[in-house]
Amino acid sequence: MHEPEAGSARTSPPVVMEHVTKRFPGVLANDDVSLEIRAGEVHAIIGENGAGKSTLMRILYGMYPADQGRITIDGDEVRIHSPRDAIANGIGMVHQHFVLVDPFTVTENIILGEEGGPVLHTEDAEQQVTILADSYGFDIDPAAVVEDLSVGEEQRVEILKALYRGVDILILDEPTAVLTPAETQELFTNLRALRHDGKSIVFISHKLDEVLQIADRITVLRRGVVVGETTPAKTDKARLAEMMVGRPVLFRLDKPAAEVGEPVLRAEAIVAEGKLNGLTLEVRGGEIVGIAGVEGNGQRELAEAIVGIRHATEGHIFLGDREITGTRVSEIRNAGIGYVPEDRHDQGLVLDMSLWENSVLGRQDDRPFVNGWGVLMLRRIKDLAARLIHRFDVRARSINATAKTLSGGNQQKLILARELETDPKLLLAAQPTRGLDVGAIEFVWRQILDQKAKGRAVLLISAELDEIYALSDRILTLYEGRITGEFSPDDPPERIGAAMLGRTEVEHEGS
Amino acid sequence: MFGDLGAAIQIALTYFTILYLTGLGGLFSERSGIVNIGLEGLMVIGTVTGAFGAVYFTDDLGLGVPVGPMLGLLLGMLCGAAFASVHALATITFRVDQIVSGVVINLVAVGLARFLSSVFFGQATQSDPGGPHLALIDIPLLSALPAGFGRAFEDLSPVVIVAALAVLPASYALNRTRWGLRLRSAGENPEATRSLGVRVAPLRWQGVLISGALAGLAGAYLSVEVVNNWREGQTLGLGFIALAALILSNWNPVRLIGAAFLFGFAIAIPRRLADLPGIELLPPQIIRMTPYIVTIVVLAGFVGKVRPPAAAGRAYEGGGAL
Amino acid sequence: MATVTTKVSAADRPPWLDAAIVQSVALLVAAGVALLAGSLIAVGYGANPLDVYGAIIEYAFRDATSFGAVLATATPLIFSALALAVCFKGGLFNIGVEGQFLFAMVTATWAALSLDFMPGGLHLLAVLLAAMVGGMVFASVPAVLKVKTGAHEVVTTIMMNGIAVSMVAWALNGPLKLTSLPTGTNADLRSDIFEDSALVPRLGAGLGIEDSAQLSWLFPIAIVAAVAVWFLIKRMRLGYEARAVGASPGSAKAGGIEIGSVQIKLFLISGALAGLVGMQQLLVERGSLVQNYQALLGFTGIAVAFLARNNPIGIIFAAFVWAVLSRGDTAVQLQAGLPREFVIILQGILILSVVIVYEIAARRLTYRQLQREVDATDAEAPSDLAATGGTA
Repeated sequence: MHEPEAGSARTSPPVVMEHVTKRFPGVLANDDVSLEIRAGEVHAIIGENGAGKSTLMRILYGMYPADQGRITIDGDEVRIHSPRDAIANGIGMVHQHFVLVDPFTVTENIILGEEGGPVLHTEDAEQQVTILADSYGFDIDPAAVVEDLSVGEEQRVEILKALYRGVDILILDEPTAVLTPAETQELFTNLRALRHDGKSIVFISHKLDEVLQIADRITVLRRGVVVGETTPAKTDKARLAEMMVGRPVLFRLDKPAAEVGEPVLRAEAIVAEGKLNGLTLEVRGGEIVGIAGVEGNGQRELAEAIVGIRHATEGHIFLGDREITGTRVSEIRNAGIGYVPEDRHDQGLVLDMSLWENSVLGRQDDRPFVNGWGVLMLRRIKDLAARLIHRFDVRARSINATAKTLSGGNQQKLILARELETDPKLLLAAQPTRGLDVGAIEFVWRQILDQKAKGRAVLLISAELDEIYALSDRILTLYEGRITGEFSPDDPPERIGAAMLGRTEVEHEGS
Repeated sequence: MFGDLGAAIQIALTYFTILYLTGLGGLFSERSGIVNIGLEGLMVIGTVTGAFGAVYFTDDLGLGVPVGPMLGLLLGMLCGAAFASVHALATITFRVDQIVSGVVINLVAVGLARFLSSVFFGQATQSDPGGPHLALIDIPLLSALPAGFGRAFEDLSPVVIVAALAVLPASYALNRTRWGLRLRSAGENPEATRSLGVRVAPLRWQGVLISGALAGLAGAYLSVEVVNNWREGQTLGLGFIALAALILSNWNPVRLIGAAFLFGFAIAIPRRLADLPGIELLPPQIIRMTPYIVTIVVLAGFVGKVRPPAAAGRAYEGGGAL
Repeated sequence: MATVTTKVSAADRPPWLDAAIVQSVALLVAAGVALLAGSLIAVGYGANPLDVYGAIIEYAFRDATSFGAVLATATPLIFSALALAVCFKGGLFNIGVEGQFLFAMVTATWAALSLDFMPGGLHLLAVLLAAMVGGMVFASVPAVLKVKTGAHEVVTTIMMNGIAVSMVAWALNGPLKLTSLPTGTNADLRSDIFEDSALVPRLGAGLGIEDSAQLSWLFPIAIVAAVAVWFLIKRMRLGYEARAVGASPGSAKAGGIEIGSVQIKLFLISGALAGLVGMQQLLVERGSLVQNYQALLGFTGIAVAFLARNNPIGIIFAAFVWAVLSRGDTAVQLQAGLPREFVIILQGILILSVVIVYEIAARRLTYRQLQREVDATDAEAPSDLAATGGTA
């Protein structure tokens, strides 16, 4: 057991990880990774999805055992078998998905596991939490129930949980993914206060701009291996990106020229469940319209309202000349929409079903695949599956394999293949490259550009501004369920960023 | 007429005792994250083992009072908990679907009870009637109430008192102790519990074992104290009504008192109040349906809204890892 | 790819075969555990386990009538397990088969007694139809509540079971109370005796199966029902939609499947099957609705469905095995000197070990599938698009 003494001069860095290797079934998640975290620094760990960032930190936090390697804390080798061990060694972690007990109060969430005796003393504990929060300038009500808090406040509770346990090293896994820019800045203010107090912060991210803004040092992981270590002063975004990916990254692709045609999708002042507040937009044939915005501003609701998964309570949506507001999903799809959902596991594929069964999802009512008695025409469905897999080069053992056995990129290819097979008038692609590796990203981008070249309309919803820039002909900013601006990809990101925060006047030209 | 009401309340108190104890057991299990639809089966085990304990230990051990009933109740509790450990093993350790396991518990209990009965009593479906029971007590003051209401509080089994007072330690343990906070967190968000270094599996085991002990006690109370022998099928679906009361209570031990008494009273109506104006028009079997109908109506959200523990029914992957 | 041939052949095994192998092994292990536990109990009674199991099997197969009786016992279990499986495929847990079959006995009894003016075959058809409709009506309550209000079907069906028990008691005390007491019968609560035209004809006289086996045309109907359910699940659009809804409601919805409509259809089909569960006792064995009817068939059906992993064809065999055991209780008592309840314990242990072993096997299977796939993609070159897509 080692108790770090606050304020004492340290001769060795608080945390050193050496030659850490971790293998999951078939995947080498961390391959001989060594890492050093110093006192009073914000240390960013960056890498693509699946690069092994979270795995490495979960090993440090005792959630996974490492297969090989050693961890020293303040110069002493330690064995961390559980989060409890980690906390005892002064290491705390805030997960990407918060682990809070919703009906508990802030204080109850913080003291859980460290209640200070068999009987609870709620008021004392609340007072302690208040003192702790005040000392770092955290704004939080200790008696508030967590389910009533905003995302930013919940994150503060998570950080306080760690601080309450006296940690000196705080690991934050993709902390800004769910925050609005304003909340991100508040988080950074909090982090600087912690750093000032001598705490070490590990900041896992793939958002390069933020990393450059907050980090003191940056470690880059690729395919489980450390490929470099640098500081913001010595690098820039392009170089970081190249280190992450292993080759120069395209921030722009050559966009095919296409003649902009008739309006394909028109949404007029649609309102839905407090998440869409009078949203109006138009997408024409032969153009790609990108929706930029911080997540949680109605992206998901917009996509779902267009496809009919959720219904707009006010306003109208037209596909071509046909009004599709309040229509069934199956009819809307038949009317000519291809849908690449934001969450391919939740809305794209049935993971436990075979590839051929997934190939026909969405067309299970169509005559060639089902006869008048409701009997499936297996031969035709399997032919379809084989065709899709061949055309989009889906890497799979056979059409009988279950969808869950595919890699993320291959799953996305299957979805794209299926959705584009019917040659829809409109392709609605929500976060189409989330979680994909670079090769797959480029494939998806090409398919989207192909649609444009064929004169089809594309509505692209993405949280990645790079992606929006790379593909869009017109960029609309979405803020609190409304379009707050229209831009061209030649406009500077700063203007778009401001509009994403709702700071500019509505300059949308309407239909 | 008030005399009848007093008698009806007395019967209602009997059923309250069974429903509250069983429901409270289910509450601990479900607040820890394990749905327990096997309450009926756990109660069945309590009835047969309780009856065995009551008649087998005839010696008074020089205490002057029969110890059989006490040991019967104790045995019912222990065997209920032991049988519940099957549910715990299946759902927590092996992560079998909790509904599936609960169904199996109920199925197996019926057969096991017959088997035990044939071992204990030499016959599969009942024990000899007229077993011993605990001394009955009158509640001071309340039993002196006028207009026949006093009857409700006379000749009560001590177990009734235990059940009525159980809310105090239960609420305290659940809301004011470290253990209760951890148990509830395991039922709401086990990942949060685990991430703070608290092991989920032991908490859930404790919740399930408590449900077995309390349902077993309720069953033993039924066979030892209420009926004075074991008969197959004597639980009459009370375990399911307890489940209904638990839902109606919104998994709250205080509100469970009201729900258990309400349903207990509904069962008592046809027994003592069938002649009342209005009631006489309703066949007793229809009145018997009330708890189920009330629960369906509540569940459908027509009246109020219930919210089960968020993680109840969900296996926790990290549960067996430690 | 000329790698090790054994690896390739194992990898090329289609997933369904892989699943079948794992499940068969799981079933054998579970059965082994149950037989072992049963043996210990038998030894505890000083009996030779082989004698006990031998007696059970011998009792089922010693002559045509015994075999017929096993099939008759299996009949309601097949319907019951099918009713469960239909819902299960759509992610619905219909614990209410018990209540649905009880309510269906009431509606069927009503039809048998009040439609007795109908000619022979038609009368029976009407009674069976009434049973199916009764089951559907009773199943529609949790179905509609689930779809319209989100009330969880497990709890609502449990409550509906409680209502059904009281419903039968009420019917026997009221609308269906017997009006004429046949001579020689006691005055137990029961309905009037049905006309012969409402009864299901016996089967197997030509095969040497005596009437005492109670084997009727319901058995072949059950087999047909199992095949029909298999076809529905595997080969029909509704089955496809049900499986999609059961496995991933979000993807099903995004794929244009109306979840609520699918769930209601499944519940109705399930209710119709549940309605036939009680017909063996009502229209073959008793010929009237009695107070001491055979209950728990809905729950036993759940056990049978688990045993068969909800596979409709597997259900036929699982129900058969269950029936062999159930009927073997007499043999256990007479020939091995054990309490007849030994069989129920054996069934209990069997079903417990089955659910646990299947759970472990399912995890193992998923793990293996994933691992194999990752191995496979590892062996291939990384996406060739990285090479072709470089316009940077």
